[in-house]
Amino acid sequence: MKKQKMFFRMITAAIIRQHSRMLVALLAIAVGATILSGLVTIYYDVPRQMGAQFRNYGANMLLLPAGDNGFDEKAVDTAKNVIKKESLVGAAPYRYESVTINEQPVIAAATDMEGAKAASPYWLINGRWPSAAGEVLVGKELANTLSVKEGGTINVIYEENVGKTSNEDSSIKKENNEGIPFTVAGILETGGSEEEYIFISLPDMAEVTGSSGRLDAVELSISATQEELKAYADKIESVDSSVSPRLVKRVTQSETTVLTKLQALVFLVTAVVLLLTMICVATTMMAVVAERRKEIGLRKALGASDSSIIAEFMGEGLMLGGVGGLLGVVFGFAFAQAVSVNVFNSSINFQPLILPATVIISVAVTGLACLLPVRSATDVDPALVLKGE
Amino acid sequence: MFLRMIFRALFRQKVKMLMIAFTIALGASLATAMLNVMLDVGDKVNQELKTYGANITVVPKQASVLNDIYGLGSSEESGAYLKEDELGKIKTIFWAFNIVDFAPFIDTHAKLDDGNEILLIGTWFDHHLELPTGETLNTGVTNLRSWWEITDGKWLDEQAGDKNAVMVGKVLAENEGIKAGDKIKLETRYAAEELTVAGIFDAGGDEDENIYAPMDIVQKLSDTDGLLTSIEVSALTTPDNDLARKAAKDPKSLGADDYETWYCTAYVSSICYQIQEVITDSVASPVRQVAESEGAILQKTQLLMILITILSMLGSALGISNLVTASVMERSREIGLIKAIGAHDGEISSLILTEIIITAVIGGFVGYFAGFGFAQVIGHTVFGSAVEMKVIVIPIVAILVILVTLGGSIPAIRMLLRLRPAEVLHGR
Repeated sequence: MKKQKMFFRMITAAIIRQHSRMLVALLAIAVGATILSGLVTIYYDVPRQMGAQFRNYGANMLLLPAGDNGFDEKAVDTAKNVIKKESLVGAAPYRYESVTINEQPVIAAATDMEGAKAASPYWLINGRWPSAAGEVLVGKELANTLSVKEGGTINVIYEENVGKTSNEDSSIKKENNEGIPFTVAGILETGGSEEEYIFISLPDMAEVTGSSGRLDAVELSISATQEELKAYADKIESVDSSVSPRLVKRVTQSETTVLTKLQALVFLVTAVVLLLTMICVATTMMAVVAERRKEIGLRKALGASDSSIIAEFMGEGLMLGGVGGLLGVVFGFAFAQAVSVNVFNSSINFQPLILPATVIISVAVTGLACLLPVRSATDVDPALVLKGE
Repeated sequence: MFLRMIFRALFRQKVKMLMIAFTIALGASLATAMLNVMLDVGDKVNQELKTYGANITVVPKQASVLNDIYGLGSSEESGAYLKEDELGKIKTIFWAFNIVDFAPFIDTHAKLDDGNEILLIGTWFDHHLELPTGETLNTGVTNLRSWWEITDGKWLDEQAGDKNAVMVGKVLAENEGIKAGDKIKLETRYAAEELTVAGIFDAGGDEDENIYAPMDIVQKLSDTDGLLTSIEVSALTTPDNDLARKAAKDPKSLGADDYETWYCTAYVSSICYQIQEVITDSVASPVRQVAESEGAILQKTQLLMILITILSMLGSALGISNLVTASVMERSREIGLIKAIGAHDGEISSLILTEIIITAVIGGFVGYFAGFGFAQVIGHTVFGSAVEMKVIVIPIVAILVILVTLGGSIPAIRMLLRLRPAEVLHGR
């Protein structure tokens, strides 16, 4: 009991007495541990954060009808149930119909505007997204053809109703063959075929066509790996056989390639930085301990055994390692958080495993770094050491 | 005398000096590796992102982007085409070096044996092109559609002489029962051809219902010799900024200086503009899905690497200055002795500083090459290609090493000079 107390007092006294020297060592360890915990946190978080960036490419899974006649709106709910809520970035149901505007045939895509916005973040809208009933998005090419601008009005007639009058078919309301007026909320620019369509909301489409409940496609943007996507696809197909899920190969394949490379990059960089930092910490510790050869000689001359000297120095080193490691965890997390906020505009989750890992590694590195010089010092004849040779 | 003292010090304490040099070398190699990788990561990731395919499409002025699947804006009706002989000019624009791949397309409707009408697309697969500049290059959909999975057969190899061959989309092949090696007959208003199926591809998109054939076959079938309906271009671009967005709306709205900056930066809009300049009556527009996302991902990766680099440089700077401080402090007795025999403070400082700087230069030199090696290891493992050597890294690392060693030793020396020789020598 007494011996332990003495041991502890010797360690703390050494640290406090030689504060400038120990501060140097502590600083080195803390810096090393900061880099360790910061980089490892970033390494774990990069796939998630980068994965979210890749969702800029839009949908990576399509639900298409298994037969020829579309599928029921329920498929969207099926998909939403199957896919984990936090990994579903956006789901946009689509229903395509031919309509006539200014006597010209046009493809109208009916969708859920909020869903489309989430699933296709790369869409550039000149104007604004439609928010109320009776508002539409018009593709840029189509807008040129029809020469409409944002804020303008277009008359949409369901193609099957063209030329019919309410007298011939009582199910068609009078305004349907004269068209329903819509306000153009914005012009859509994508550089793709979407520029040829007009986008209206599903309820508006129901009004134009007089029918609802059927979909032609659902675009899903899911943050998941290719394997997970395949699993989702199989599951959706097994739940609802009227739907045939397809992966958008162009997006999934490329995303996998690029993400794997990025992760490998961060991994290698982390490994290199860690290796070098650890060696730096070790050399600093060695220098700090080597300076105290005289002290070791004196202790030995006073009759201390080699093992007790080694134990004491190791105790000191381990304590420094522990404190430095803890400091490193705090600073490292702060650094990783700063990186995440600056780069990805989102905060990161604290990985609880990093705390013990960082402390253990920094204790091990400092311990090892102390052991070598202490051993060589204890091997030497105390008289020689004290004489300063 | 000064020199001799320095050399003696260096040799006598060679273990200690080696340790300092080693640490400095480690720090310098870390900084070198990180800086090199950071400066090159943009290009590297940009190359990887090219797997997403084309980011620019070029179409004739009157035609629209959409083909005639939905019976809209068909090029056959509008009669607007691009000229095939102008294709090489794409590689002569200001940013020619940034054009990675491109492929022309021509499409037409053709009838199969059983009378089903399909969309037949003519293109380059792996076309060997001789440029007006005398260079040659291989380009085509084999690169631009890297995500296609060949489920049966193999890629059509233009250069190996697969002249009368086609590639069939998976969905169409399943519906029609076509297999690789089969012969299919395609008929149009103008001509009919019997062609061999080289392979079946799974693209996971609309293409799965189409047939792809070499350019000249489709031109013959649609009577459009030397004409194209569209060109897809894959170019390395710089992420857009405000200037690029302003210019994309109307380049003429820019002032002379801004125009020059914009024209001479690889923005997707300026590359589009330059393509329009060389291809007669064309409209080049960025594929927003690809262009936008590439920019975002590139920026994030670069920013991430910059921050990691700063952290590691900070770490190595602290590591080096720490060790230097520790090693200078250790020499209190020696300094005391020199002082006791009558040396001036200035002489002592310059003696120690020169020693440290010599060590630092050796360490830094070794570290630079070691770091460059590390960068190559990273480049080859991750991207399978060498990391380019950036000259700017050398002065940065040199300045870093010198500043850090001076910063680590000067405060320690000043502190030691304040000590009284008698006390120091006495061992307190």
